[in-house]
Amino acid sequence: MPHLEISDLITATDPRTGARLPVRRAEVVHRLREAGDRHAARIVARLPADRHDVLDPHAVDRLMIGVHTELQRLSEELRLGKRLVHILGPVFEAVRATATGRLRLVDVGSGLGYAVRWLAAHHSLGPDVELVGVDLDAALVGEAARLARAEGLDCRFVHGNAFDLPEAATVYVSTGVLHHFRGPDLAGFFRAQAASPALAFCHFDIAATRLAPIGAWVFHRSRMRHPLGRHDGVASARRAHTDETLLQAAAAPGMRPLLYEPRGLANPFCTTLRPVIGIRPELEAPLRRAMGRSARRLVGPEHLAGAAR
Amino acid sequence: MTPQDAAPALAVTLTALGLVDSAFSGFRAHAGRDARIRKHRAVVRATLRGLAVGAGLLLAPVLTAGAVLLAAADRDRTYAALAEGAIGFLVPLACYTTAVLLSLAAYLVLPFRASTLALVAGLGPLTLLRPLVLAAACAGTLASGGGAPALLVGAAAGAAVLCVEPLVHRRWYAAPQR
Repeated sequence: MPHLEISDLITATDPRTGARLPVRRAEVVHRLREAGDRHAARIVARLPADRHDVLDPHAVDRLMIGVHTELQRLSEELRLGKRLVHILGPVFEAVRATATGRLRLVDVGSGLGYAVRWLAAHHSLGPDVELVGVDLDAALVGEAARLARAEGLDCRFVHGNAFDLPEAATVYVSTGVLHHFRGPDLAGFFRAQAASPALAFCHFDIAATRLAPIGAWVFHRSRMRHPLGRHDGVASARRAHTDETLLQAAAAPGMRPLLYEPRGLANPFCTTLRPVIGIRPELEAPLRRAMGRSARRLVGPEHLAGAAR
Repeated sequence: MTPQDAAPALAVTLTALGLVDSAFSGFRAHAGRDARIRKHRAVVRATLRGLAVGAGLLLAPVLTAGAVLLAAADRDRTYAALAEGAIGFLVPLACYTTAVLLSLAAYLVLPFRASTLALVAGLGPLTLLRPLVLAAACAGTLASGGGAPALLVGAAAGAAVLCVEPLVHRRWYAAPQR
């Protein structure tokens, strides 16, 4: 049975126009029941809908903002900002070896923009790095922009497709997005970045350890209040991609795929989130130099092939 | 030293633990409701709100203990039973508090990789265990010979501290902060 996340199903956006599409509650409930997830179906059945059974978009937006606000707490507790800087600092150091002028970090599927806003608030990557968050959900983008304005943060948020921006990204990042891509879409996601002018990408997602679903249950049960957040938190841990899947998918032409802290090298209790990195091949050596001792935790596909032998 | 002699110190210790727990409950009631990056003031305010609500609610076990003593036929014996019950109530709480403080210290002091361990293996599960620990504390009042009067006071104290977070949450943080 596929593991579905409710938040993926209750909002729909036209990827070309960015326009919101109506979502029929009964169809979502049916899909979740088909997937054998009665609990999720009950959560959706309680959501407000109009007389045509279309989910109330305002209620869904409020719910999504509420759940993402709660979700941010987990990012705060797991010190996601510091994890990002631990990798992105050396990535940008390597990138500066070849790139000149203003650099641009684009956060794909930025949600409430915690990563971008944290980096802006802490001036972590230097004044030459423009921070941009992009998401297909207009309500989340609006709220992210409002939060950034309220704190006077030097970053911006765009509603739309991250690979369709008028200005090219230097480095693409994301947090908790990869597990939403299934099958060929995952490789397509990496290929789009390799085909762009970007010099690197760095995508953090849940490490697919045996402990991940149990840890996600405990963590979301103790931290999240809304049943949707609790449900999706565990579903996302179950959907996390294995190291092999990520490295295979990230091996797009022109990019050197690297995984930081793969299963064999990391304590599963300490590695809840870890990134898959892609970097133009000529920048790998500067990246490893910039990472110092931490570079030993960085492995390419050959490491997994060696481990399998 | 008899349990009766230690009763004032036990009462102070349990009240202090209840107030500290209330402050943390205030923090938890606010956590996940404020998406700003810089929110130290809001966190302090939420903590103080928890403390204030906890201080009010903790009057419940104090008044219960007073009522039990006033209604008792043999006040000395009831006082002794309450003191013995307080020891039984304190033991599970002391173990829990130690575990929380160790986890919290590890989380705050260690670098992010190790602090994740403190969070995932310590602070997360310990939050879930709070009601069970209070149930164990209530059972402790009986095990230590406190009897029904101590169980009643312990149950009032347990209910009081468990109510702080939902009350603060509903009163001030029912919706994400704008």
